[in-house]
Amino acid sequence: MADVRALRIGGFSRAIVWRPWWRVLAVGVALLLSLSSCLALGKVPLGPTALWHALCTPSSDTGLIVWQLRLPRILLGALVGGALALSGWLLQQVMRNPLASPDTLGVTSGASAAAVGYLSLLAADSGSAWLPLAAAAGALVAVGLVYRLAWHRGTTPLRLVLMGIGLSALLTAATTYLLVSSAFSTTLSAYVWLTGSVYGGNWSDVARLAVGVAVALVAMGALMRHALLAGVDDALAVGIGVRVQVMRGALTLLAAVLAGLAVAWGGAIAFVGLIAPHLAKRLVRIPGTAQVVMSIALGAIIVMLADLAGRTLFLPRDLPAGLFVAAIGAPFFLMLLIRQVR
Amino acid sequence: MTSRRHVLAMLLALATLPALARAGTSSGAEARGTEKTSSRRVVTLFQGATDTAVALGVVPVGVVESWLDKPVYPYLRAALADTTLVGLETQPSLEDIALLAPDLIVASRFRHQRIEPLLSALAPVVMLDDIYRYRDTLTVMASALGLEVRAQALNARLAARLAQLRARLKAHFGVRWPLTVSLIDVRANEVRSYLAPSFGGSVLAALGFRWNAAQRRLSGVLVKLSGIESLPTLDAEVFFVMRHSRGAAVAAHYRRLQAHLLWQRMDAPRHGEVREVDAIDWSLSGGILGVFAMLDDVDAWLAADERRART
Repeated sequence: MADVRALRIGGFSRAIVWRPWWRVLAVGVALLLSLSSCLALGKVPLGPTALWHALCTPSSDTGLIVWQLRLPRILLGALVGGALALSGWLLQQVMRNPLASPDTLGVTSGASAAAVGYLSLLAADSGSAWLPLAAAAGALVAVGLVYRLAWHRGTTPLRLVLMGIGLSALLTAATTYLLVSSAFSTTLSAYVWLTGSVYGGNWSDVARLAVGVAVALVAMGALMRHALLAGVDDALAVGIGVRVQVMRGALTLLAAVLAGLAVAWGGAIAFVGLIAPHLAKRLVRIPGTAQVVMSIALGAIIVMLADLAGRTLFLPRDLPAGLFVAAIGAPFFLMLLIRQVR
Repeated sequence: MTSRRHVLAMLLALATLPALARAGTSSGAEARGTEKTSSRRVVTLFQGATDTAVALGVVPVGVVESWLDKPVYPYLRAALADTTLVGLETQPSLEDIALLAPDLIVASRFRHQRIEPLLSALAPVVMLDDIYRYRDTLTVMASALGLEVRAQALNARLAARLAQLRARLKAHFGVRWPLTVSLIDVRANEVRSYLAPSFGGSVLAALGFRWNAAQRRLSGVLVKLSGIESLPTLDAEVFFVMRHSRGAAVAAHYRRLQAHLLWQRMDAPRHGEVREVDAIDWSLSGGILGVFAMLDDVDAWLAADERRART
């Protein structure tokens, strides 16, 4: 392990493995490239100079399109994708299960049931302004319920996953019931929400989600060591002095908050939380900060590109990004799996 | 301790983010407030607004795709020959709208609340609460466009039409009036009944039709039948039936319904008072031109009934 360096500043010390950061840097460049192509492409395609001009003059016609319509939407997509990817990475780590993701732990289905319930029961009176809050609350309640149900003198990852799958099924049934029994017009907006879309994102959405994600990232920084130890067998972790149950609870809560935030603003975009961490693990094999950053960057890229496809491929139709997440992510994912098998 | 101080520093840095974001939005918000305009570059983001604009003699520069007979309802095609499509009603393409440089956007709070801040950055916006209350749509759009006089003329024409039909209905049916009615929407795997507050229902109600006792007790604009066994809840003296799409699945479903004993035992089918109508006029148009087309249908049905009574 010649490439490990220790960083010490007073009481703060971290072991840093340099090698994977080159790949992270490469993905970071890819992130910037997709950001700028998302900014450039659309109904009015802009060349590099036109894009630069638009960015410099926010009040011109193209400036308005780039600053008010494209940039907030792209950033919202990136935040949603990054938060989902991080949530997925955490859950896969804590549950020690490669199939764990916000979708399997009841987070997405809890948020969906709450959002559809809100749309069909309350939206008529109060509009859709409180939809993000309802969705986030639904996600947290669902995870709380999973945790409570799986609790038997502590929790085990397997019980949590099984309980999560069971509760997801139940909540999906509730969502379906709400869709069937609600009024015609609600159903349509509910379907768009369930597909997942960052359409219509504006700066205040971006700001609110950014604050939420940033707070979660700070918590993540504080819990990072425990997130890495969560992959270790319970008995061993107890042996080296980890408060296993407390940390498992805290990490699961953090994952739920992240996914809840993402789902609240982006709708039930499925699959990102599963594939982004997997792709990251292929590119950075050692669990650590590099892997986490890689997951976040990949999640952001996936949602940004999916949204780009949604708003440009079928002009003038603007389709929900959720439709394209699987279409972009799945083949890539399969390709990686196949290459790994060989 | 050092790491805790780092956390604090980061949190403080984060606290400045919302201020930055506000700085980003304030430039767009100024366009709001100037609702009244006499200019005519209008973009309509729901079907009822498109219909109403054409009724007011204003050709929108941008409209959203229709639900049926895409991309534009046949009755509006001539008027909208040069109009740009700006995508789906549920998710219109904001860039297309921006390119049209409209000076009025007509949207509905119900569908477009989320994009209201963005829309008002592009042009003055009027938001209707619902998409199917054609009278509200007409009033609000007319005042936004300064066309109140044309709206009054349309309203007067509608009132005259309604009064004349009401009188004929009353004269024709005598003591049987008011008849009970059901406005039925046949879909591929579902049947819906539109009640008095709905778009089509409100016109039938204005003519004096009533819904049966069971349906009168319901609130909301529609009921979905939970299965074929609940067909009898539709029972009425007249049925107006629309098909939700032109597809074979809907046609097959309608044939199955008609062949069913429960259907055949209801009042309207037994007396041959089932009238097939077009879903565009009776439900999807959402505007006053659709209402006039509905009244033409009622007129034709009544005329046929009057002829039958004479012979």
